[in-house]
Amino acid sequence: MKELFPAKQVMGFVFSLILTAVALLVYFTDLSFGVGMTILLVTAFIQAFLQLVVFMHAGESKDGKSIYTTIFYGVIIALITVFGTLLILLWDM
Amino acid sequence: MKLDHTQPLEYSTDQNQLNILGFWIFLGAEIMLFATLFTAYFTLEGRTGSGPTPADIFEITPVLIETFVLLTSSFTIGLGVHAMRLGRKNAMLTFFGITLLLGLGFLGVEIYEFTHYYHVGATYQTSAFTAALLTTLGTHGAHVTLGLFWGLFIILQVKKRGLTPENANKSFIFSLYWHFLDVVWIFIFSFIYLKGMMM
Amino acid sequence: MEFFERFAIPHPSPMIYASMVAIALVSIGILVGITYFKKWGYLWHEWFTTVDHKKIGIMYLISALVMLFRGGADAILMRAQLSGPDMKLLDGQHYNEIFTTHGVVMIMFMAMPFIFAFMNLVIPLQIGARDVAFPRLNALSFWLFFAGAMLFNISFVIGGSPDAGWTSYFPLAGNDFSTSVGTNYYMLALQISGIGSLMTGINMMTTILKMRAPGMTLMKMPMFTWSTLIANVIIVFAFPVLTVALLMGTTDRLFGTHFFTTTNGGMDMLWANFFWVWGHPEVYILILPAFGLYSEIISTFSSRNLYGYKSMVGSMVLISLLSFLVWTHHFFTMGQGALTNSIFSITTMAIAVPTGVKIFNWLFTLWKGKIRFTVPMLYSIGFIPLFTIGGVTGVMLAMSAADYQYHNTMFLVAHFHNTIIPGVVFAMLAGLTYYWPKFFGFMLNEKIGKSTFWLLTVGFVLAFFPMYITGLDGQARRMYTYSEATGFGPLNMLSFVGAALMAIGFATIVYNVYYSYKNSPRNIGSDPWDARSLEWATHTPVPEYNFARVPQVFSSEAFWDAKKKGHQLFKGELKDIHMPNNSGVPFIMGIIFFIAGFSFIFAIWIPAVIALIGIFVCMALRSFELDHGRHIHVKEIKEIEAQYEEVQGNEARSHTTTRV
Repeated sequence: MKELFPAKQVMGFVFSLILTAVALLVYFTDLSFGVGMTILLVTAFIQAFLQLVVFMHAGESKDGKSIYTTIFYGVIIALITVFGTLLILLWDM
Repeated sequence: MKLDHTQPLEYSTDQNQLNILGFWIFLGAEIMLFATLFTAYFTLEGRTGSGPTPADIFEITPVLIETFVLLTSSFTIGLGVHAMRLGRKNAMLTFFGITLLLGLGFLGVEIYEFTHYYHVGATYQTSAFTAALLTTLGTHGAHVTLGLFWGLFIILQVKKRGLTPENANKSFIFSLYWHFLDVVWIFIFSFIYLKGMMM
Repeated sequence: MEFFERFAIPHPSPMIYASMVAIALVSIGILVGITYFKKWGYLWHEWFTTVDHKKIGIMYLISALVMLFRGGADAILMRAQLSGPDMKLLDGQHYNEIFTTHGVVMIMFMAMPFIFAFMNLVIPLQIGARDVAFPRLNALSFWLFFAGAMLFNISFVIGGSPDAGWTSYFPLAGNDFSTSVGTNYYMLALQISGIGSLMTGINMMTTILKMRAPGMTLMKMPMFTWSTLIANVIIVFAFPVLTVALLMGTTDRLFGTHFFTTTNGGMDMLWANFFWVWGHPEVYILILPAFGLYSEIISTFSSRNLYGYKSMVGSMVLISLLSFLVWTHHFFTMGQGALTNSIFSITTMAIAVPTGVKIFNWLFTLWKGKIRFTVPMLYSIGFIPLFTIGGVTGVMLAMSAADYQYHNTMFLVAHFHNTIIPGVVFAMLAGLTYYWPKFFGFMLNEKIGKSTFWLLTVGFVLAFFPMYITGLDGQARRMYTYSEATGFGPLNMLSFVGAALMAIGFATIVYNVYYSYKNSPRNIGSDPWDARSLEWATHTPVPEYNFARVPQVFSSEAFWDAKKKGHQLFKGELKDIHMPNNSGVPFIMGIIFFIAGFSFIFAIWIPAVIALIGIFVCMALRSFELDHGRHIHVKEIKEIEAQYEEVQGNEARSHTTTRV
């Protein structure tokens, strides 16, 4: 039975629960918008990274480099799109 | 079919390796798909017209249930893939089954949530904010729904045909898809719900 | 009654009625012809169900050429309408429909399938692979493209063409201002073919990353392979944006949401924003493979290796990133602040740098080369100065303050045609002439090809250079007429003459195919151009397994090295070759998507839902299907190879005479 629950994945799960709990601070305590958003950004990206490495085994095969490049490139373009659009349509309108 | 026994079953043939890399590239495209939905949401979330604002309609309880259920399902499918690599077919099927049940639970809560929005006057046609919200959540929900069917098909195939390289490959790719949906949910949870309730 | 009114042509004109009759007659003629000559079985087994990348490539090629003439007919009508002041050939509504369909057809249904044709035909051969990574998906991509294209093309006879411009900006494209089903056609047809393009992107990326011949490291890939890889990276990350934008546009029009409306919080500019987040990278999706083709052609016909290989690759990688950083320059005048406009002005100008690097690399490749002025080479040499003019006017447009003067004038129209025609269209025609013998077994006539080139080049200059002048003088684009007092008349007449020359030029291509089919010699060998990369190392016509033995590669010009330095490309014993099975499912899915699209366009919900269910059933069947492909056995391979050797032996004697 024990071999079915590898320590790495159990730890990953516990850690993701902790990160969720930390993110919930912004709801249950009275933080400023800036601090709250910072907490959310940090917890969300750590958690996404955790899933990628611990659960999705992104780097395990010999294509690991291609996979990380693709995902990294995608994230960069995604951030450019989100923040570029916000700049154009909201912040600098 | 050439088998390479130095690697896990899901990587053991050339076609299997192609499938896995191809699916990762597809996930790269999915990142952009959801990024575009988030872009639309962030741009339109303050544009509520005469309809309700985010803070008016969001409820913490269903969101917490959904988050916990989906996080757990991401954990269980990870265990399923681990069991598959140990060659423990029944354990794997159990974990995949639990995952799908949790997915079904998630979908149930989401449907409750949507009816709640409808009752408080936040329909698809109400405002730019509600349209962006429901499209983003709906796209994620549609992915989960599709995943439920896909996962079910895979369970049936593993049951019927055993842990062949092909089935192992399909199961692994499905696990990638499911983890990815969890990642998307983390962003929905943080930047749609928590951000909306914070304001 | 109201229901059927949607099917009526919102804009009846004799021309459209004539087209209706013509389409009906041609369709019936084709069906009767196929039945009469008993070709249904042949079509089904050899083409509709094929997963062979070469056949799919040829189908893309034919579709692209047909669409070129469809879009070209639109173009000549527009130029005729504007050839003099107050012309009455088209009225305003009809003109709107025509410039809309011209743009969409040329970009989405001509240029895209044209580049996909070359990717499919050339890439697996150039990297020494047997097929693409996912052959069945490749067939599905084609049939989705084809379903989208057909859906878009029936719009003008059933329900009316879209009329809000190829950009279909909201609120103009919304229900309030575009009341016909035309814009629904735009949304659904682009959606369906866009999904196909996205799948091609994933397929090609995986193919190039994983299926290269042994020894071909990333930095030993031929330049066309590199350009295809980068273009497909852009496809993978740009097309999802279009998917979402079209989805939102569709729900706005069909389900009354408020994404892009002007009420209830909707933001019309969000559409323009998303459209160009996809639209600008789309420009590079088209131009990069064209650059790749030019690189192959210029180096072949200069008999030199490509100058600055590393800087070519580096500049393309840089372009792929920068292409996602410039989209605002399409709407500098939309009202955002000076900060945003300045940022995007600078990023836009920055793109000129890597492009300039490439231009110089081509020039240095030509320098001291032994240049052969074949038809593909003429296009490439014509491209360099013409495209540079297009690029320089692009930098003029990139200056956001000055753009207020150029925006929405004919100056812009002249600029982007000046990049797309010498950049993409010339590359496609060069590639067509260059690769024609590889896939059809005979060469296109050089003499006719040269007259085509001159007709197109002179026609192009006459058609588009006057627009720079009228544009600066204030002639707005998308205006269906102008008064005599504006003084635009003579220059527009010149444009019309140029457009007519181009039309004649395109007609000569058809004649050339016909003439060469009749008269060209068939014993041309497998390497008629004395070329440099792997696609020329296999037989002509290419056997279905591409290479009997997988080639061993040592440089980016593996075939040249094999010919000149004696590297042995093909070593080892023959082995059984694994090939994918044919399948009719992609074709059927194409039909189902067409039905789904048509039903959504007219909001006929029951067939729409049934068709959607049909799509999921096809996917479910695919999940349960056991398909291990088939094997071509060594014995069979030996027989096929022996046939080629026989032909090759005959060729060796007439070899020197046919080589150009």
